[in-house]
Amino acid sequence: MIATVWRVAGVGFSLLLVLIAALLYGDSASQHAFLNSQIGEVTIGFAVRTDDLTVLLLAVVGVVATCVQIYSLGYLHERAASYHALVTLFTAAMAAVVVADSLFLLLIGWEVMGACSYLLISHYWERREARSGAVKAFLMTRLADVGFLFGIFVLGVGAGTFRISALDPAQIDPGVLTTGTLLLLVGVVGKSAQVPLQTWLPDAMPGPSPVSALIHAATMVAAGVFLIARLYDVFAASATTMTVLAIVACVTMLYAALCAAAAVEVKRVLAWSTVSQLAIMFAALSLGTHEGRHAALFHLVTHAAFKGLLFLCAGVLLHQVGSAAFVVLRRYTRRGRLRKALPVTFVTMTIGLAALAGVPGFAGFFSKDSVLEAAWEHAHGGSVVGWFVLVSVGLTAGLTAFYCMRLWLWVFFRTPALAGAVGAFEADDPMADLEDPDTSKLKDASWLMLAPLVLLALGAIALGYVDGLHLNWVVALASTVVVIFGVLPAYSLWSRGADPRPVLLEREFGVDRAYHALFVVPVRWLSKLSVLGDRDVVGAYVRAVGRSGALASQGFRLLQTGNVQTYLTAAVVGVVALAVLAGVIAS
Amino acid sequence: MTTALFAVAAVVAVVSAVLVVTSRRIVHAALWLVVTLGAVAGCFGALHAEFVALVQILVYVGAIVVLVLFALMLTKAPTNPLPTLTTARSPFAAAVAGVLALLLGTGVVIAFGKEKIKPVPAGDAETVGTAIFKTWVLPFEVLSVLLLAALIGAIALSQRKSGES
Amino acid sequence: MPLVLPLLLAVVLFCLGVYGVLARRNAVTILMSLELMLNAVNLNLIAFDAWRLDGLATGQTLAVFVITLAAAEIGLGLAIVLLLFRGHGHVDADAARDLAEADEREESPT
Repeated sequence: MIATVWRVAGVGFSLLLVLIAALLYGDSASQHAFLNSQIGEVTIGFAVRTDDLTVLLLAVVGVVATCVQIYSLGYLHERAASYHALVTLFTAAMAAVVVADSLFLLLIGWEVMGACSYLLISHYWERREARSGAVKAFLMTRLADVGFLFGIFVLGVGAGTFRISALDPAQIDPGVLTTGTLLLLVGVVGKSAQVPLQTWLPDAMPGPSPVSALIHAATMVAAGVFLIARLYDVFAASATTMTVLAIVACVTMLYAALCAAAAVEVKRVLAWSTVSQLAIMFAALSLGTHEGRHAALFHLVTHAAFKGLLFLCAGVLLHQVGSAAFVVLRRYTRRGRLRKALPVTFVTMTIGLAALAGVPGFAGFFSKDSVLEAAWEHAHGGSVVGWFVLVSVGLTAGLTAFYCMRLWLWVFFRTPALAGAVGAFEADDPMADLEDPDTSKLKDASWLMLAPLVLLALGAIALGYVDGLHLNWVVALASTVVVIFGVLPAYSLWSRGADPRPVLLEREFGVDRAYHALFVVPVRWLSKLSVLGDRDVVGAYVRAVGRSGALASQGFRLLQTGNVQTYLTAAVVGVVALAVLAGVIAS
Repeated sequence: MTTALFAVAAVVAVVSAVLVVTSRRIVHAALWLVVTLGAVAGCFGALHAEFVALVQILVYVGAIVVLVLFALMLTKAPTNPLPTLTTARSPFAAAVAGVLALLLGTGVVIAFGKEKIKPVPAGDAETVGTAIFKTWVLPFEVLSVLLLAALIGAIALSQRKSGES
Repeated sequence: MPLVLPLLLAVVLFCLGVYGVLARRNAVTILMSLELMLNAVNLNLIAFDAWRLDGLATGQTLAVFVITLAAAEIGLGLAIVLLLFRGHGHVDADAARDLAEADEREESPT
């Protein structure tokens, strides 16, 4: 009963957001402040603002949230009430971030999103990976949020106001500006899972797939991009911050693409892919130009569509087959059953992967091209950062095409290699190649889950044309060539039945292990120390008090001998002593 | 002359009292108590309180000591000498008694060291009787009630109730 | 005669009585020592009466009353000693430790 209430409320709320976005479309920018309080010379209060960026993001959030809520109606049945309530809360928090004009309102929405992310990743809290993934995500984003908070303080105090629309970079001292934006960047890096805080996103995949679609593909991780876009004047005014952002973005996009190429589970590939695509958006923002910002936001919108679509498809695979690991899906593919049993999923997933890879005609192609164009123009203006970004994005596009093709081929198509060839994914079970699972009951998901897939697939195609068609043909041709160069190796490897995964990539460059040794182990040791200290040092005193009471009572008990003459003797001695005392006092 | 009489009676009293508290045979201790009580009666006489001396002999020696002997018989007191008649606490008790004696003695000497008793005979039965039934009649009546209570109490205590442990 | 003489005798008898009460084992002997103490008190009363001579014979009257009280008290005391004998089979005051808490040590929680 309560679950139904929340299901309805969830769908209704996200549709409401779409409606608001539609109503606000075309309106001029406006702001509205409320609940202000003066503290010293600074005013702290809440304020909201609506302009084209707000409308865009509200629309994206609303549509993706609606798709996710409707999809969840068919996908998820245990603890449905808390799930739908939390997704609704999350959507509301993202809306708060998007409409905020006060840095503190933005912070509130930011933190609530982090909390909802934690609660939703651990939805299946019976599973250990879900619990640890949720804690990891929460702790890493929280750590970054410390920097975020201090960035807000520095900027706000430096500018004399906490209103975003009143932040004027010309009036802020350059040192303060750089410090503040760098601190904000720390928060962004954590929230959007860039290097060095990237390890939490792939480990957040034990959460339900619609949660991954909403939070870890379309909205929360995009909040970092949104923040920089919102405060673009402030960020662009600090060249140091922009350079740092560019370096972080380029390193991240290549690192994440390489890790995606070595992952053996569908959702993990998509998670690393998300990190990589976010890095592309950040790289576009780091150019510092208006075209860069525009390209980043364009890519944000298209990415929300196709990455959300891909995660929902992975959810269908999980729901129908039971696992999203390559090794399991391969067994279903061997007779081509997966493709034929789940036709809609197959088609929509193909569209999503094509958009991600940047196949011409799909949305990803146009948005990636706009990033490349912005970088190209900036590079031509003589900027080193521009060249850096251009080369990195180009390489990443090739890698993206590679791992998309790899995913598509291995999941849906039977490899033409002989059965005797070395099993690509059954490294420790060579006989597993011969097992045949029961595929007779395999069928596609219910229409509740498929309808959002279709909608998002349409978006993955159509959104590319929304910006108007203005292409730089040189860049378009170059990116198509890069895509082909990425696709061909994947095809050849697949056709040979091989999936070579270098150890370095499989271990994801050992970053997770290094973090564990650097941070987790000392903290565990410290916690053990403090527990021992509390129990054996402080607790010993507490127990000693109890024991001393018992000892004292035992001592006093010895006085009760039961012998009347002893009592009498003591009485006489007492009387004598009192008499002596009285005499002494009287004299 | 009364002083000499008193001194003799005092010595007898002290010696027999020591024997009461240190004797190893219980029945002997009771008999030494008789001697002590008699000597004290003699002291009373030397202090011109003849009536009280006679009452002492009548009641104390005649009734109380007899009662004590009855109790000794009823509790099967052993007639052979028992060295364990005194507990291990006796040195300590002796010390306490000694300190008490010292205290009281010094107090008495300091307070009354210079007083003298005049030899005025005012202890005959007529004087005491008049005093009791004129001035002290209320305490006398109360005492009779107390004796009644003691009587009832003794009877109640020594009854054997059936089924009582 | 000097007043201190009877008073000192009373002190000596009293302290002998205290020693007897505290050191003797048999309950009846304890009661006998108690009688010694009462006698010392009586001696005190008589001595002070002979010295004061207040015309009311206070000391002598009170001495008679003390003797009465001693009689009543020893009657009750011996009844209690008889009860003790019935309950324990002996009248050893040192061995009668029913008031002690030593037996409860096993049941009491530490």
